[in-house]
Amino acid sequence: MRTFFSKLPTFLGTAAIVSCAGSAALAQGPSYWGSSQTATPIKHLVVIYDENVSFDHYFATYPGATNPSGEPSFRAQRGTPEVNNLANAGLLTHNPNFTNPLNGTNAANPFRLDRTQAATADQNHGYTAEQQAYDGGKADLFPLYTGTATAGGVGAFGTKGQVMGYYDGNTVTALWNYAQHFAMSDDAYTDTYGPSTPGALEAVSGQTNGVDLVVTSSSSYYIQDGAGGLNLISDVDPAYDVCSSTTNTVQMLGRNVGDLLNAKGISWGGFMGGFDLGITNSNGTTGCARTTTSAVTGVTENDYIQHHNWFQYFKSTSNPTHARPASVWSVGRTYDPNGQVDPANHEYDVDDFYAAVRAGNFPAVSFLKAPAYQDGHAGYSDPLDEQAWITKVINFLQRQPQWRDTAVIIAWDDSDGWYDHAFAKTTSRSFDYPADQLNGPGVCGKGTQPLGLAGKPVNGRCGPGTRIPFFVISPWARSNYVSHAYISQASITRFIEDNWLHGQRLGGGAFDATTGSIMGMFDFSGRPNPPLFLDEQTGEPIHNQQGWW
Amino acid sequence: MLLGALLLAAAGFVVFSPVPLGTWMSGPRDALWLALGENPHPVKLMVPADTPLSAVALLGVRLFHDPSLSGSGRMSCASCHDPTLAYGPAGSLPVVMGGLHVTTPGFRSVPSLRYLYRQPAFTIGPDVENGNDVVVPLTQQAQAATGHARVLKTALTPQAAATNLVPQGGLFWDGRADTLEQQVNGPLYNPAEMDGGTLQEVARKLATGPYAAQLQQLFGAGLLQNPGMTVDEAMFAIGRYQIEDQSFHPFTSKYDAWLEGKARLTRMELAGYLLFNDPAKGNCAACHLDQPGRDGTPPLFTDHQFEALGAPRNPAIPANRDPNYYDLGICGPYRIDMRASTQYCAMFLTPTLRNVALRRVFFHNGVFRSLEQVLDFYVDRDIHPELFYPRDAAGRVMKYNDIPPQYRANVDTVDAPFDRHPGDQPALTPGEIQDVIAFLDTLTDGYTKSR
Repeated sequence: MRTFFSKLPTFLGTAAIVSCAGSAALAQGPSYWGSSQTATPIKHLVVIYDENVSFDHYFATYPGATNPSGEPSFRAQRGTPEVNNLANAGLLTHNPNFTNPLNGTNAANPFRLDRTQAATADQNHGYTAEQQAYDGGKADLFPLYTGTATAGGVGAFGTKGQVMGYYDGNTVTALWNYAQHFAMSDDAYTDTYGPSTPGALEAVSGQTNGVDLVVTSSSSYYIQDGAGGLNLISDVDPAYDVCSSTTNTVQMLGRNVGDLLNAKGISWGGFMGGFDLGITNSNGTTGCARTTTSAVTGVTENDYIQHHNWFQYFKSTSNPTHARPASVWSVGRTYDPNGQVDPANHEYDVDDFYAAVRAGNFPAVSFLKAPAYQDGHAGYSDPLDEQAWITKVINFLQRQPQWRDTAVIIAWDDSDGWYDHAFAKTTSRSFDYPADQLNGPGVCGKGTQPLGLAGKPVNGRCGPGTRIPFFVISPWARSNYVSHAYISQASITRFIEDNWLHGQRLGGGAFDATTGSIMGMFDFSGRPNPPLFLDEQTGEPIHNQQGWW
Repeated sequence: MLLGALLLAAAGFVVFSPVPLGTWMSGPRDALWLALGENPHPVKLMVPADTPLSAVALLGVRLFHDPSLSGSGRMSCASCHDPTLAYGPAGSLPVVMGGLHVTTPGFRSVPSLRYLYRQPAFTIGPDVENGNDVVVPLTQQAQAATGHARVLKTALTPQAAATNLVPQGGLFWDGRADTLEQQVNGPLYNPAEMDGGTLQEVARKLATGPYAAQLQQLFGAGLLQNPGMTVDEAMFAIGRYQIEDQSFHPFTSKYDAWLEGKARLTRMELAGYLLFNDPAKGNCAACHLDQPGRDGTPPLFTDHQFEALGAPRNPAIPANRDPNYYDLGICGPYRIDMRASTQYCAMFLTPTLRNVALRRVFFHNGVFRSLEQVLDFYVDRDIHPELFYPRDAAGRVMKYNDIPPQYRANVDTVDAPFDRHPGDQPALTPGEIQDVIAFLDTLTDGYTKSR
């Protein structure tokens, strides 16, 4: 009884502050562990960084779903804004990828992928192949250049011109429901063309310049940048990570947003599925060989994929031995409770995120990557496993007391080469032959290239690249809102800098300085959004669960 | 007196049980359970959920049983993949008649369609992709595999050989299809099988037949204007039926019940199980994996790897009348992308042993007609080759007569029981062969009604 009453003043005080927060545009929120002064009411950013999806691949007909019987159905709310997709652009038929004879027998119009076709082949999403597919902006040579790479699982669907396939709300039901209740962008791009590792680096450093080759036997993943350095254009493993390749690894020489957060003592972490090598999975696998078999694709994949690990590429923010944090209380912190440098150095397993948040230690900034079978990457993963992951994380977060001050970003590291019709004018040029092919052999864009780390123009950063989906899910996100303002993966770093770091920028030619802001996807005045709990299997809304303690 | 009698009885029980004495010494509890016919470590098997079929799978059911897609109008998938025989062949002909008038003989025996839902794609070595976005071409994989030492395959530690850089996965005897959708195309167009004609003809049948409305509803109004995609979607529906329907992975065999602690093996079955797993005897489990995963994933009785066992040439296959014709599996003639990889000639995919007792033709060329014949071959191929291969004019045994001489070095002669020489003791006695067959009989689905 005594403890209840002694807690009562704090509770009432907190409730009073929280109820006033809505009216203050720049709130100094309640003092939670790990918080600090912020430009917005957002005290906790969670970035769910998924794999390999283009905007049209998931939203080609949004908000219109086919709704065959037996599949989760979707019906749009009134007032759903129009998005720039295939349906609204009139590109579902007579699509240039069908009419351009250069696509040969693979020429195809866009077509609906059914929910039973969640497992598909992977597409080709190389730096050069994507430029060729975009064909100077005409986006009409996808079947020719980004056609199928791997077969996928035994039950996967494949067809000529498969790169033109898209899902609708009967498959990506959760994302369509999030779009109805929160904010998304139809003008978000990868900062450059190319696959996962460049995409990961853009999200945290806005930069693929400054490659340090630690071990190398191939030159396929980088080019000479023309200013005496190297620029990354493809996947390669992070150096010194005990799970990495022994023949090809790199480190990046620039800075990342984690460095900036460390300098200000702000809590943050990179949380990767499969990172804790001491865990033994239920199938008996452990260490770097922890695997899970997807029930949807039937493919067995390593949980931890090292070339997706954003901060592992930088000496200052890496945890090459996958050392464990001293305790759940040191998660997100440079120092453990005894003032010793915490061995985990801000790099953890996804399980550590759940444990820390449950314990009340919710870092200010968190980057999350699913165990691979749930990351959405075609071939070994799929939209249904991805949906289960996303809804699990967001359902979990919405139950936390800190949800009031939390924003979730869902973004993707590359498009997988899936067809998307939209093209962003090239503002980051590059003139490497043969890597660049957007406007012709050795040509991407017109004008001078962006500056690199050394302050000189560099090649290898041809962009903006491919259009990806991008969500902001928060009580403070605009509701049923579509932003048409240009943003990119580097906008994630920009938001962190604007919210926690007074608009500090990384410098060295990083794209955080030139990309768009996601602030327009928030509205900090007015009533906050209610939470939206979605079923992990169907993506459909389940009974709202009230209360946050 | 009574104590003495009991002790004698117990000793007799131990000595005369099929369980080896060594097991009694090292694990008496396990040995006792085994001797009683029970699984000492029952598990809950993780089997695919039994959910209602999707609309796509229901379309697949109809297509699977529809003979109108064949050139003769008389052959459907079910004609050769008999649903009452584990979707395997009925009859004892090594190859089935097909073609326009159902009079053209085929080239290989019909595989079962059961238990393919976890089949990996064709690769050289395991897990080549490993989440990588870069595709490694098969020729490059084969190149990387040359010169690599191969771990011997033993039933004691079967997982050790899983990392061998050897061909594995895929569908058909030669692994040339990676997905069930791709696999359907094989029989559909094969002039010796369903002989469906051209893609346009098949597409026309689909567009004008009873499936048109449903195809459009599921895959878009414009689908039927695209013949290639129309056929792909239909093939996918057939593959989807095989993924979703329990009849393709029922796990209702006696062995599955035994794994779950719900059945007792007879003395013969138990003896066969022990021989199956004994590296010094049958060593069968080295390739035909029979242990469930730690998490209850049921065993599929194959490691999905390829083997060249040098089965005798089958004169009952009409194509074999041409002495220059050789079926070499991975390196051809039906698989065309690995022709240069002659180190894999005469290698064929290790099939599941589930429901093997329902078959009357075994191996890719159906040269064996009973499980006894198969096991005799395994045991005596190298000790008494004259029992299996014909003699030439000079009286020499034509061992490996179904493989051109330059590829005979590909035959497995190192993994037991294929490591014998003339004069050696056979791995199994005739009585032990019968025990193994009794065990193989427990792998037939239908022992329990359903899960």
